[in-house]
Amino acid sequence: MPEYEPKILSFLCNWCSYGAADLAGVSRMEYPPNIRIIRIPCTGRMSPKFILAGLRQGADAVWVSG
Amino acid sequence: MKNFLEHTGIEPGRLHFSWISSAESTKFVDVVTKITDEVKMLDPANKKYVKTEPKVD
Amino acid sequence: MTEYTDKIKEISKRVLAEGRVEMVIGFRKGSVPMMNQPHLATSAESVDELVWDSNCGLNLANYITDKKGTIGIIAKGCDSRNIVTHVIENKIKRDQLYIIGVPCTGMIDHHKINAMFDSEILTVEESGDQITISGNGFSETKDKQELLQENCTVCTHRNPVEYDELAGNLVEEQKNVDQYASVTKVESLSADEKWNYFEDLLSPCIRCYACRNACPLCYCPTCFVDESRPQWVGKSQDPTDVKTFHLLRAYHCAGRCTDCGACERACPMGIKIREFTKKLNKDCQELYGWEAGLSLDERPPLDTFKTDDPDEFIK
Repeated sequence: MPEYEPKILSFLCNWCSYGAADLAGVSRMEYPPNIRIIRIPCTGRMSPKFILAGLRQGADAVWVSG
Repeated sequence: MKNFLEHTGIEPGRLHFSWISSAESTKFVDVVTKITDEVKMLDPANKKYVKTEPKVD
Repeated sequence: MTEYTDKIKEISKRVLAEGRVEMVIGFRKGSVPMMNQPHLATSAESVDELVWDSNCGLNLANYITDKKGTIGIIAKGCDSRNIVTHVIENKIKRDQLYIIGVPCTGMIDHHKINAMFDSEILTVEESGDQITISGNGFSETKDKQELLQENCTVCTHRNPVEYDELAGNLVEEQKNVDQYASVTKVESLSADEKWNYFEDLLSPCIRCYACRNACPLCYCPTCFVDESRPQWVGKSQDPTDVKTFHLLRAYHCAGRCTDCGACERACPMGIKIREFTKKLNKDCQELYGWEAGLSLDERPPLDTFKTDDPDEFIK
């Protein structure tokens, strides 16, 4: 049986973590492929309903990063 | 605060928060790895709490 | 508390006659026992309909959101705290209001009383601390203390915090009550047990949104459950959707809920909705030392940033 690969729904701030993810990509760093990124304009855009909607539709976990 | 709401039902390991600057690509990689590992520890199917059940009828 | 009625009428008539306010918001007798209904009195005759007893559990702060003109409002402890919240959130100006404070000794729980008797209750009368409940062929007198709404039994703000005039002498506040006993109990459970506990708690919910409508905090022009583009919350009776609604509703009340119990009172299924808001109140108390609606000059914790805000949950 293949290893369990969770889907992690990630809300990343355009200016912070999204930039970091971009930089990580440009620098050819390796990281797990389990995250599914949604870019948000700012962490202030975050709302609890996004998290619950994500979990409800089957995400294994939610990660919010600013 | 959100974290504490999750305490009243969902396991804490299903919600993560972090703070990473756009220059911290190394921290980004660290955090992604850590969170992925943590989530892999959770029971995949059985504990998938909030999820729409397909209506059968 | 029935003795307040005369005083309330007297004050209301005076402020109306003086032109200090255009209407007075209070309660009048409802068509069924234990169900007083909100009443907007604009003339001396309609003031005569006002009453005050232990069935005034609804929160009148609900009726002042975004109102124009001057309003007199009758406020018990929790109402007054919600009025403060409204003023802080710019939903009304303090000088539009004339607050008639009512020191409260608790409201009686109609769910509890209805569950006690098999047949229909026709009258409920109150004198002092005794409540007499009677219907076809029965009549029983009970101590009011036994019949209180759950939130009233743990209330620590019975006296109004903000008022222009009082309708009675201040009452003694309850001390040494464990406000969060039920939350502590749930906290000690494991994740699975918690899940099952809330699953059971919410299973009777019919999504009528009475809790939302009764709540003085819920005044969004479009509620998140009515949004359809995009639609974040499922509208079905599915347990997940029901839970999403309740979690989000509770979260909207974080740092604002005064535990007035209007939601539970309004619930036709008798669900203990306060279990959710209570937990958030406890968190606010523990993390920020905050209780909603106590002062007009302080901003709520979710509205301010301090460098020493708790941040253990951030990696």
